[in-house]
Amino acid sequence: MPSESTGQSEPSSGGTSPSVSGPERTTDGQVDDTHHWWRIIGFWVVMSAIADPLFYYLAGPHIPPGTMSNVAQGAQFDFNILIVAALPVMLAVWIYMGYAIVNWRASRNGPEPIGGPRARSNIPIQTTWIVFTTALVLFLFGFGTYELVQPGGAGGGQGPSPIWTPASHDVLPIQVIGQQWKWTYRYPTFGGFETTQLVVPDHTAIAFHVTSLDVVHDFWVYQLGVKADANPGQDDVAFATPQQLGTFVVRCDELCGLWHGAMYNYGSVLRSAKFESWAEATEKRLAENTKFLPAFAWTYTPDANGADGGYYPDNVDPYSTVETYGATQPGEPLPSTKTTKN
Amino acid sequence: MVDKLVPAESFPILRETPEEIAYELRAHEGALWSGSRMLMGIWAFAFAALGFAYFYLRSANNADLWRPARITAPTGVGAAVFAFSLAAAILAAYGLWRFRLGSSLDWEVAGWTGVLCSLTAVSLQIWQLTDLPFFPGSSGYASCFVGWAGMNIVLLLCGAYWLETLLARHLRLRRAVADDGGLARSTLPAVRLFRVNLEGCTYFWAFIAFVAFFFWMLFYLV
Amino acid sequence: MATSTVDTEGPSYPGEVSEGHGVIGARSDWLKPNVTWAIVGAVGGWFFGRYVGDLIAGNWPVSQNTTMNNVSVVFAMSFGVLGWIAGIGALTYPILKMLGREPAPVQPSSSWVRYFRMTEDHKVVGLQYLIGVLVFLFTGGLLAMAIRTELLSPTSHVFGPGTYIAIVSEHGTMMMMMASSAVVGPLGNWLVPLMIGSRRMAFPRIEAFSFWIFMAGYLVIMTALPLGGFPTGWTAYAPLQTQANPGMDAYLVGFAVIGIGMIAAGFNLAATIINYRAPGMTWSRVPIFVWSILATTALLVLATPTLIVAGYLGVLDRTVQTAFYVTEHGGSSFLWENLFWFFGHPEVYIMALPGFGIVMEMMPVFTRKPLFAYRVAAAGMIGVALLSFFVWQHHLFQSGINPDMRPLFMLTTELISIPTGFLFLVTLGTLWRAKIRFEVPMLFCLGMLFNFLIGGITGVFLSDVPVDVTVHGSFFVMAHFHYTIMGGLIFALFGGLYYWLPKMTGKVLNQRLAKIHFWTFFVFFNCTFFPLFLVGLLGMPRRVFEYAHNLQTLNDISSVSAFLLGASFLIFIFNFVWSVYIDPVKAPDNPWDSRGLEWQTATPVPWFDFERIPVVLSDPYRYSEPGAPPVADPGAPSLGSVGAMSYGNAVGPRDVESLPDRPGDLDPRPPIL
Repeated sequence: MPSESTGQSEPSSGGTSPSVSGPERTTDGQVDDTHHWWRIIGFWVVMSAIADPLFYYLAGPHIPPGTMSNVAQGAQFDFNILIVAALPVMLAVWIYMGYAIVNWRASRNGPEPIGGPRARSNIPIQTTWIVFTTALVLFLFGFGTYELVQPGGAGGGQGPSPIWTPASHDVLPIQVIGQQWKWTYRYPTFGGFETTQLVVPDHTAIAFHVTSLDVVHDFWVYQLGVKADANPGQDDVAFATPQQLGTFVVRCDELCGLWHGAMYNYGSVLRSAKFESWAEATEKRLAENTKFLPAFAWTYTPDANGADGGYYPDNVDPYSTVETYGATQPGEPLPSTKTTKN
Repeated sequence: MVDKLVPAESFPILRETPEEIAYELRAHEGALWSGSRMLMGIWAFAFAALGFAYFYLRSANNADLWRPARITAPTGVGAAVFAFSLAAAILAAYGLWRFRLGSSLDWEVAGWTGVLCSLTAVSLQIWQLTDLPFFPGSSGYASCFVGWAGMNIVLLLCGAYWLETLLARHLRLRRAVADDGGLARSTLPAVRLFRVNLEGCTYFWAFIAFVAFFFWMLFYLV
Repeated sequence: MATSTVDTEGPSYPGEVSEGHGVIGARSDWLKPNVTWAIVGAVGGWFFGRYVGDLIAGNWPVSQNTTMNNVSVVFAMSFGVLGWIAGIGALTYPILKMLGREPAPVQPSSSWVRYFRMTEDHKVVGLQYLIGVLVFLFTGGLLAMAIRTELLSPTSHVFGPGTYIAIVSEHGTMMMMMASSAVVGPLGNWLVPLMIGSRRMAFPRIEAFSFWIFMAGYLVIMTALPLGGFPTGWTAYAPLQTQANPGMDAYLVGFAVIGIGMIAAGFNLAATIINYRAPGMTWSRVPIFVWSILATTALLVLATPTLIVAGYLGVLDRTVQTAFYVTEHGGSSFLWENLFWFFGHPEVYIMALPGFGIVMEMMPVFTRKPLFAYRVAAAGMIGVALLSFFVWQHHLFQSGINPDMRPLFMLTTELISIPTGFLFLVTLGTLWRAKIRFEVPMLFCLGMLFNFLIGGITGVFLSDVPVDVTVHGSFFVMAHFHYTIMGGLIFALFGGLYYWLPKMTGKVLNQRLAKIHFWTFFVFFNCTFFPLFLVGLLGMPRRVFEYAHNLQTLNDISSVSAFLLGASFLIFIFNFVWSVYIDPVKAPDNPWDSRGLEWQTATPVPWFDFERIPVVLSDPYRYSEPGAPPVADPGAPSLGSVGAMSYGNAVGPRDVESLPDRPGDLDPRPPIL
């Protein structure tokens, strides 16, 4: 702490007399600042000890995104730990600032400030600060990485070659197709039918394969804690395992044009058995339509029929007068729909 | 410096001491040095962005359209553009060497030839862009090439402009300092600043040559 | 108009082989390059560009059946900017140089016209920038009011979706353009030479050019509105960018134009700070604000070229049909994302660092204590600048990037919070056992610290990938960057304005109104943006006009507070106009009793800044230190005395407390006329 001994021998004054211009001193001439420290630290410890558990136990369980899936629960836990770490930091700064504002205001006529080298730098304080902030940040990094790799990538999109996959080998793939301005879902293990309803089974690892037909969208399932960008011509994989039944909302989270704000729908988590029966029933119901859909692939390049002004390769090309280099010409076989790297 | 009578409502007169003038002269020399290095940094980051685009699109190879059929821009014209850019840089360096030895006339000739070379390079590059055998959007390589060609033109014009202004200033100063040791030796402020400026310009041309070589390799050789 | 036969002893351009120069001609100021000619040039350039663009691209297949092809639009804007620059006279010197001629030195002027022209006086440029920045801020602010009006209700809509998206995009882009020069422009240009003891900037014409092209950028981005706006937000993700209407070209060209201005400003400031420091000003005596500007210039000069190239590639995509950002043709939408954010992250530190500099510069004055841990502060800002190049992929965590990258960028982003935190170490250390005067600038410092703490901590939340999965792209991110940029930078900017305006304008601002402004600003700012953290956590994405019903209360609190926040800015405008123009009160030379070198000049500051280049004796933070030398020796007593410039030969130190307000009163030097 900044302190300065000037060698003057003044009688010790317990507190601050209002008109004294020198700093408080103890009998051996040292300036006594320790009581400031004790007050600040004491108050801080008490406030943190109240605030942290208060938050963790009262608000913690209700923190978004909730517990509907394992990744959502992981994200909630992560957030709570971050708040528990952040609250004391914020309280420390605010309590210190408040103390300074109250105690060291000019109108209080307290002791004069002391300048000079002691006030310009204090190596122990600086070192402590740097060490402490570095340790805190490294801890948060370690904890965040642990949470990220644990439940299969924390629900975030990992690109076409995910490296943090769920532990279970029984993964249900669902393809999410974004386009301006709606979401559709294809179920490859059920014949590849495409529907606007997102229905998922509980206690099953799900792999969302997100792609787009035009611009960049973002597939955000709020309650399941899944978020993956939908990129044209790319496959973006995110994992989640639902663990509670219920309804969830799907919103587009990347500005994609005019009706971005209206690009949302709802889905539901059903019991596995009910999901199976729904999927099989839907497969049968949509069988006629599924025949006309493009073959299932991880990405699609839309058949624009000239509507795109010639930007995209066309399979059937009666209208576009622009030659699209590298495109498939009418009559040629379609290019293989292999996954493109990011 | 004539001390004129000034009416009361006009401005405070600034009287600079010789030391201050000398100080500000040294400061401006330093500023020219800093400025020329910063200019290289700016262009370096700009071309690094383009280089990033090249390597990124090449490794992604989306839709197998990075470089279908090993398509390449016309190599003859490309080599000519590179050769003329390199020639301008070499002429600038040679000119600086001769200038420092005292013969600023050699530098003038080299400089003007260099400006001519770089303008030729620019013209060739523009002509090449109007006469490409591929459509700009037909592949990643094509897009990167068109992007680079545009930037190349601007860079070469930048270098040519800088060199030309130095040559013009040299023409103006030459007679004035002929009996003060010439431009290579005179210690007049204008000439000192000229020398710093010239050195910066020559370094910048070396930078242009390096960038030209690097991208010539990427687009024509590799 | 007063013509003057003033002669500057000594060349006004160092090294100029000066011929004599006599009386200024009586040529009218209206015929010389000024803003009216700039407007004429801009309009002429616009139509010329349209014409040329139509000539070139009129019969391209992609232009058929469109009202306005992109080539025309881009050419129109580019030639408009060129015409603007030519009209303001910025091309005179470059063209004269090609002929080997030097322009006549610009005579100092006291007429109001100089604010509408290219000027070589950095103080005039600073005030021009101040008005420019405020114009950007208030235009963007009106757009923000429109956004909050739309968001009052989740279902009943004020604007159509296209208009709303255009408003959102325009607001964001304008504010980002403004904020990148918000401090560097007005305060950086005005203060840096005075703080380092220099009479001038290294490249005054480049500095003046940077302001005029900043205003050209404003005009270009405003033309987006009649062109239908652009639908991508300020982040302009491809391929929506490629698909968009001609308003998108305004964004791409406008940001490139602003980028050129940013590079010019950074280039000039860096060269000045490195080379033009007064004798005796070693790096450890440089004011911390100048350090922050230096760190910022490193980012301005190196990160902005990436933006210009990224925008250039986007323009190529939209005009000559290259495929940089179109995945189906060999390009990649990720290319734009990477290039943009490689610029975008240093960009936000371009905004944050000068704010830190202002707060750290002002705090010692109002605490009467030296700046604590000055070296840590300077090193921290350099560290932030350096690290800011290595964190950009934290904007792309869920974009489908290589998943291996994510822990790496989480680490670098977490690490950058360490030097950012030094701001708090330094300011809190300066508060220890201080004597705090709660003047208006100090209030803004404390408010900035409060806001930036929240902003910075929520940034750490966002850097944590699992939490980012929930909050990326939501209003949580919005609230985070408004807390850091508005709560941090803009608070610091206003604090700095209240602090330095008495010196810049020579007039005192009304302190009571200023305090009301601070409190309304602070309270309504927090009421507007704190609920948005909750709104974002509860699932509302950015840039949407429809949201869940249960979020309406929070949105309404935010909207009403936003209207009051907007109104609070009127207090500042009223105060400024009243105090500077309508009922001015002359400001004393050093109203805050600061040791800063810029305060040791007279008010108003003479056109040459310092009568003698000072010899710097110490840093400006040695408060409460009896026996501390004055910050600088203002100069030798007699004209042309030898050795006045050499350190150690200075006139003896005078106790700074005894310096009179007008240093000339007791000065034996010849009086300033």
